[in-house]
Amino acid sequence: MSNLVVKKWLLQRITAVILVPLLLWFLYIFVGLVQKDYQSIIVFFRNDINFILSIIFLIIVFLHMKLGMGEIFEDYIQDERYKSVANLIISALATILPLITIVSLILIKIN
Amino acid sequence: MNDLNTKERPLSPHLQVYKWQLSSLLSITHRLTSVINTAGISIICFWIISLYLGENCYKYFSIFISSLIGKFVLIGFTWSFCYHLLNGIRHLFWDLGYGYELKTANLSGTLVLLSSFLVTLALWILA
Repeated sequence: MSNLVVKKWLLQRITAVILVPLLLWFLYIFVGLVQKDYQSIIVFFRNDINFILSIIFLIIVFLHMKLGMGEIFEDYIQDERYKSVANLIISALATILPLITIVSLILIKIN
Repeated sequence: MNDLNTKERPLSPHLQVYKWQLSSLLSITHRLTSVINTAGISIICFWIISLYLGENCYKYFSIFISSLIGKFVLIGFTWSFCYHLLNGIRHLFWDLGYGYELKTANLSGTLVLLSSFLVTLALWILA
């Protein structure tokens, strides 16, 4: 298990298993919430359990996304430099976007 | 290897070489939906950020969502997530060493395709 590729392979599967119930939960609440008014959605995310599950979901989904996109680049991008740039862009997206979103969730909760 | 013309060789995923069949169609759809889901999850992030920014900012989102195109886009993303989730389970079984027989793989593939539409429908009816 010392190989980095093996670790990535395993981590992708572990995140996938966790995402099966989490994504189903999130899709269910998301479809319901987009049909509700602003205040109801805010109340939903201020709830402790929804707040924590949403943060866990965001962290794991972006980790899974980064690993998966990396695998696609590995297959379709031949040039090593382009591949590094693509991986860098995805890493930045997979870090910055969930970070800002989690900060937004925290601010929604404490305000 | 250097004297061979590498430019003319077909590149992975070899879509132009293989004969189309259910297994390959579902396989490339898994990858296609993964890219769509990346866009989908990014939109979900912007949705949450717009919630923090306040009702004035969120109203643009709700106008889009209540439009016919908005609904169509959201249902499309829901299907993409459902498909990737269900076919992902199929992949996990393969990783454990089950379901490789041609008959089983075709059956599970058909089930995944049908269920992806059913789960999407169920989510939009129940939620």
